[in-house]
Amino acid sequence: MAEYKLLLEHSKDPKFRTLEGYLATGGYTALKKAFTMERSAICDAIKAAGLRGRGGAGAPAFLKWGGMPKEKKTQHYLICNADEGEPGTFKDKELLENCPFLLIEGMTIGGYTVQGDVGYIYIRGEYMDGAKAVRKALDEAYAANLLGKNILGSGINFDLQIHMGAGSYECGEETALMSSLMGERGMPRLKFPSAPFPVTSGVWERPTLIHNVESYSNAPFIVNNGAEWFASLGASTKNSRGTKIFSVSGHVNKPGNYEVEFGTPLRELLELAGGVRGGKLKACIPGGSSVPVITAADVDRAIIGYEEMGEVKSMVGSGGCMFFNEHTDMVKFAWRSALFYSNESCGKCTPCREGTRWLVQILERICKGNGRPGDVDLLKQVASQIDGRSFCPLGDAAAWPVLAAIRVFPEEFDYYIEHGKSMVDSKPALVGVP
Amino acid sequence: MSQLIQLGNPNQRPAQPKPEDLKLRFSEQGVKEIEALMSHYPTKKACILPGLWLAQREYGGHLSGDAIAEVAYRLERSYAEVEGVATFYSLYNTAHKPGKHKIEVCTCLCCHINGAWNMRDYLVKKLGIRHGETTSDGMFTLEEVECLNTCDRAPAVQVGSEYYGPVTETQLDDLIEKLRNSQESTVVQYAADVVSVQLRKGEV
Repeated sequence: MAEYKLLLEHSKDPKFRTLEGYLATGGYTALKKAFTMERSAICDAIKAAGLRGRGGAGAPAFLKWGGMPKEKKTQHYLICNADEGEPGTFKDKELLENCPFLLIEGMTIGGYTVQGDVGYIYIRGEYMDGAKAVRKALDEAYAANLLGKNILGSGINFDLQIHMGAGSYECGEETALMSSLMGERGMPRLKFPSAPFPVTSGVWERPTLIHNVESYSNAPFIVNNGAEWFASLGASTKNSRGTKIFSVSGHVNKPGNYEVEFGTPLRELLELAGGVRGGKLKACIPGGSSVPVITAADVDRAIIGYEEMGEVKSMVGSGGCMFFNEHTDMVKFAWRSALFYSNESCGKCTPCREGTRWLVQILERICKGNGRPGDVDLLKQVASQIDGRSFCPLGDAAAWPVLAAIRVFPEEFDYYIEHGKSMVDSKPALVGVP
Repeated sequence: MSQLIQLGNPNQRPAQPKPEDLKLRFSEQGVKEIEALMSHYPTKKACILPGLWLAQREYGGHLSGDAIAEVAYRLERSYAEVEGVATFYSLYNTAHKPGKHKIEVCTCLCCHINGAWNMRDYLVKKLGIRHGETTSDGMFTLEEVECLNTCDRAPAVQVGSEYYGPVTETQLDDLIEKLRNSQESTVVQYAADVVSVQLRKGEV
């Protein structure tokens, strides 16, 4: 299997960013088809297609689409989570910049299906190019009556607004994003079962459909080509359907976004990205910094799929795939990862706010050569006390990389503590000394 | 080993102006824009984030106590609430007035393994300032930031809406030279861009 370009088929074509070019490649046929379909039929198609949320958790999308109230008693909202912040991920950036109409059409289909009135595209504050591309596309869509009042004479009204974030990783978490959209500090809220799902009570306590950019962008293809066709992609996997865009970076020759069908071996992704540079492959983080690291041997046997990745004790996550060569210092890497979560912790709950800080301090003293015997056990203890005990998944995401690094490369930690320096000569990998 | 990145210093909280000192400085255009932005949301509170971006533009890139007070006044929220929001997000410049250009060096995972610290050290030496500081001529602010999600171009640097990467020392020299000669402040320009992308064509 090689690259399978579904969402990114026309991403290199500048015309695809204009309405004219989008229509020329068959754009908006899905929306027209959707308007002739029953709302429940579209929900059924999403279910039969087996689409799963592409933001990281991989929950079945139909739970959200089908969970929205069938009878409209109040405003329904749609939100697109374009607050991509996961280190190693830049797929939404490309989708926003190069394929804005896919997102807009997908959200409009969503708006029709769940009877939404207004949609908000929450774009990360740093993504100005993406925001400008989406703004241009929105203006064109409004001018062509593809958004606004009485879309294409169907009697459907749907508005889309851009809401810019202001630099907070935590706002990528869906309840924190809704807090931020409502004008608060980006802190998470209670989740099911302590509170209702967003489809029952989301933003402004109204039913809300919230998805990642990539998830919405898949909707036009499901409506257009049918659920059966979509479900045939990735049929070799247990429960993952369609394609997934991976942002490949790290020590590879050709970093970039590569879209592959589920069921593709992870090794092929590395080959698509031109192989490892600067030495042999040492490790890989397949799905963004939050997911556990795997060894080179695991890269050879890993299959891309939500369940299949579990066999090598990792996850698909958001698709931020980083490869490391043999000169990478994994202890320092664990330190930098912990520092990220410590900086981005919103401070709401104690395990995450305090725990991430402790992880950084312990890892920092190991990296400085002041590690003490028993520090590895202490790290494990602190990390396992964050894992599963924090208010939102940020705490889990902080603990997993550290626990995985200790599990996969225990000898590096032991060497560091015993000798006060790294067992890896990291100069050739351009690992700067912080 | 670098010191921990301090995003927002509690000792540099923007000072709240006294009610009688409140001066409204939004331009006519700015007032129209904040009203248009308010119409996007069912509550005025939801307009705090866009309102702060607008204030950042109107107050020359710095969210001072006056700027926050004006946003609070226009949205009918309390000063404390708006200040709380402003200090949570790292792209709002609440701590001190930033330079004309904010150089954001990514030191997160992918840039970390690709030599970002060397680039950071080079900039620290060249500009003579550390993380969060501004040069005495008010030209540059240096900031070490978390993932810019431009990992394919690591090590990456962002100035305004432009991404640069993979950067080398010579490229940084050229970049700084280019910025020194530019008249416009990329910090203000960025806030202006953020406001304009949230408004539909012809809405204001």
